[in-house]
Amino acid sequence: MKIIIDRRGCVGHARCEALAPEFYPLDESGYIDSDGFDVPEGQEALARRGARACPEKIIRTVNDPTGQDWPPETK
Amino acid sequence: MADQADPLVENGRSRAAARTPRPDHVPSERVIDFDVYRESEIVSGDPHTAVARVVASAPPVFWTPFNGGHWVLAGYPELFEAVRNPEVFSSRRGGIPPAPYEPKLVPINSDPPEHGIYRAPLAKAFSPKAMMALQDDIRSLAAALVEEVRPQGRCDFAQDIAEPLPVSIFMKIMGLPLDKLGEYRIWVNELLASGDPAVKGSASRKVVEAMSAIIKDRMSERRDDLISRLLDTEIEGRAVTFEEMQSFCLLLFIAGLDTVMNGMCYGVRHLAKDLNLQATLRADRSRIPDAVEELLRRYTFTMPGRIMACDHEAFGVRFKKDERVLLMLPAADLDAREFENPLAFDLERENKVHMAFNSGPHRCVGSHLARLELQILYEEMLARLPEFRLDPERPARTHGGQVLGFDGLGLVWDQA
Repeated sequence: MKIIIDRRGCVGHARCEALAPEFYPLDESGYIDSDGFDVPEGQEALARRGARACPEKIIRTVNDPTGQDWPPETK
Repeated sequence: MADQADPLVENGRSRAAARTPRPDHVPSERVIDFDVYRESEIVSGDPHTAVARVVASAPPVFWTPFNGGHWVLAGYPELFEAVRNPEVFSSRRGGIPPAPYEPKLVPINSDPPEHGIYRAPLAKAFSPKAMMALQDDIRSLAAALVEEVRPQGRCDFAQDIAEPLPVSIFMKIMGLPLDKLGEYRIWVNELLASGDPAVKGSASRKVVEAMSAIIKDRMSERRDDLISRLLDTEIEGRAVTFEEMQSFCLLLFIAGLDTVMNGMCYGVRHLAKDLNLQATLRADRSRIPDAVEELLRRYTFTMPGRIMACDHEAFGVRFKKDERVLLMLPAADLDAREFENPLAFDLERENKVHMAFNSGPHRCVGSHLARLELQILYEEMLARLPEFRLDPERPARTHGGQVLGFDGLGLVWDQA
């Protein structure tokens, strides 16, 4: 599973980091400092929680083993 | 017209004089009576009953004739879209009703890209890391305030704890004289809780005057505070101007001296009614951050404003340039299209992604401070007091406005 982050859309809620600090590093102003990462096996739930907590919905999961990626396709 | 039936009002206040006639482009089925300053529950201790009624009975986008006549965005998806479209829903002006004197507050009264320039120094000053450095100060003040009332077996939580805790922490950050707390709080209430544009305007002038004196003082001698640091900030490669400093300080004053106090009151009032939740959190304090989020969602209480930058068609209506728009975030967070069983407080709720701090570019820059203060406050209340309940003799007193706020909240507990 992969996490892809559209960091241009970050407005600094820092919810991802609050829930999964090891995956979502912040810069000195509290904005996301990552474009994404490969999720280590067994850590999917934690990475997913961080992604879902983003109020801007700019953190995507790809190839989630549950078969349901986030955010769900709309329209 | 004076006796027109009004489904949203039960307290019999005469508001006929304050009605603005419906403009032709607003369809009559989108007109709902909603007076953010005077709805009966908003001013009698239970603002979220009024919010829930709007969610249940009004369209997600409607127009109200009160307070100058303005749009209300009350649905989650509609707000999600509007706050991310600042070219149309501009933040340049946000006061409802419009006031004769509306000084520009930065960064909130600016739109991207200018907005980012003014926001950067504040984002850094209020970053999660910078706020964590304050946690010992916050905790010791919270502990001292709770210990002071503990032997009494009762307190007015709003005045004894919720006001002094975040307000004095914020005044310290900014570098404001703590002996002015009482006077400043009166001004903030005039600015936020009064529906009278003249009262708002004169309060703005008093704040600007007081802030100007402090800015001038720091211009001649820096101290270890935010006002001094902002003076040394560059805006696009040049020194910050005096007018910009006034704008920063007015925003910080309004945002910092009121909001968290109300968040604390909503949270503690819920805890005082939900004794099972108190027991759950006392037994496992690691659940408190989850409780902070769900309390913020259930009792979202700020309603920023916008002004239409142009004519615009969306959500099945036509907006006209210069119309004011109320972002009813408390209603979005009770929207059943986004939150299952939205009126229930559910600690186990999976989706707690609320709009209490707004979202999009104007996300509350103080959100990290607010969350930390709420968490520490709940921790200290639960650790230091036995089970606390609402005081039937001193019920909650609340006021309306763009911040649904508290004036009083009586609590009681058994004395050891």
